[in-house]
Amino acid sequence: MSKKKVIKKILLVVLVLVVIGGAYGAWMYFQPHRDVQDTETDYSLKASDIVQEYLTDNQAANEKYLAADGESKVLEIKGQVSEVSEDYEGNTVVLLKSDSAKAGVKAFFTQETSAEAKQAKVGSTITIKGVIRSGASYDEDLEMYENVIVEKSKVIKK
Amino acid sequence: MKNLKVLSIALVAVLGLFAFTTVADKLVSSKTHIKFFSTTPAEDIEANNYAAVSTIDKSTGKFVFSVPMQGFEFPKSLMQKHFNQKKFLHTSKYPKAKYVGDITNLSDINFDADGTYTANVKGEMTIRGVTKPVTEDATIKVSNGKVGLETKFFITLADYGIEFNRGKPSKNIADKVEVTAKAEYK
Repeated sequence: MSKKKVIKKILLVVLVLVVIGGAYGAWMYFQPHRDVQDTETDYSLKASDIVQEYLTDNQAANEKYLAADGESKVLEIKGQVSEVSEDYEGNTVVLLKSDSAKAGVKAFFTQETSAEAKQAKVGSTITIKGVIRSGASYDEDLEMYENVIVEKSKVIKK
Repeated sequence: MKNLKVLSIALVAVLGLFAFTTVADKLVSSKTHIKFFSTTPAEDIEANNYAAVSTIDKSTGKFVFSVPMQGFEFPKSLMQKHFNQKKFLHTSKYPKAKYVGDITNLSDINFDADGTYTANVKGEMTIRGVTKPVTEDATIKVSNGKVGLETKFFITLADYGIEFNRGKPSKNIADKVEVTAKAEYK
């Protein structure tokens, strides 16, 4: 092999590596958000169960439900509709909480799923699917219980 | 015996009154918007959060914001993952950030009269388990009996143990991040 041919080969290999590296970088950079509704459900549970789990051992519950990269567990939660409201963006928020409970599960809906969720009747029981963002706990500065926060929600059973 | 009855009725009435005043004095908001904005020559990065809870105690001036950190949404998935990671906000260990402050010019604000007021707030911010003093001005707007709040301030990431010395984040993320918080109270 002549020197020229060797150089040509090396250049070709380098070029291929650069293209692969660039494509990988671009893929990483532009990768879309996880579609929560398309993701398999990790846990199906009642609103009162997850609240109880958090109030009993906050740390253990965080370890169970929260992921280090923020793509935390996808949950299906069944509960009694206690309040239907709107967030700052105008999307629907449904609080699943029984009358006697200290805290509940607050489900935030998306632009696509809000209209349906808005129909939820106070007092009825529904099941929603979404991703957990934070747990329930008593906050001594707010002087109130904070609800479990679930986002990207969709009503899956009425 | 009769006296006891009168006394107990009076006691219940007084207690009821107390219970009523505590409820009425506390403004609660779960309709909130928090925005992070970082700007560098390389890139502008914005993240939004709609799941925070805030309270204002009208009688003591105590002002609280509790923010679920995993609720911050970035335009790009990769940025969101970086934000949550251990070296950045470590949100699986510290799922909430909190601001606890006092309105120091409480007498300048009339929560019951329509108008726009500037509240001076002095307090402490806890992010990633690190607590630092933060003093800010907030605009409180009362209209038709509804209380709204808006504030904008900067936080220095290094104060909370978030530092990038090299690599992409060091030139794409600003040292100081602008935080805008809005809330509507009930």
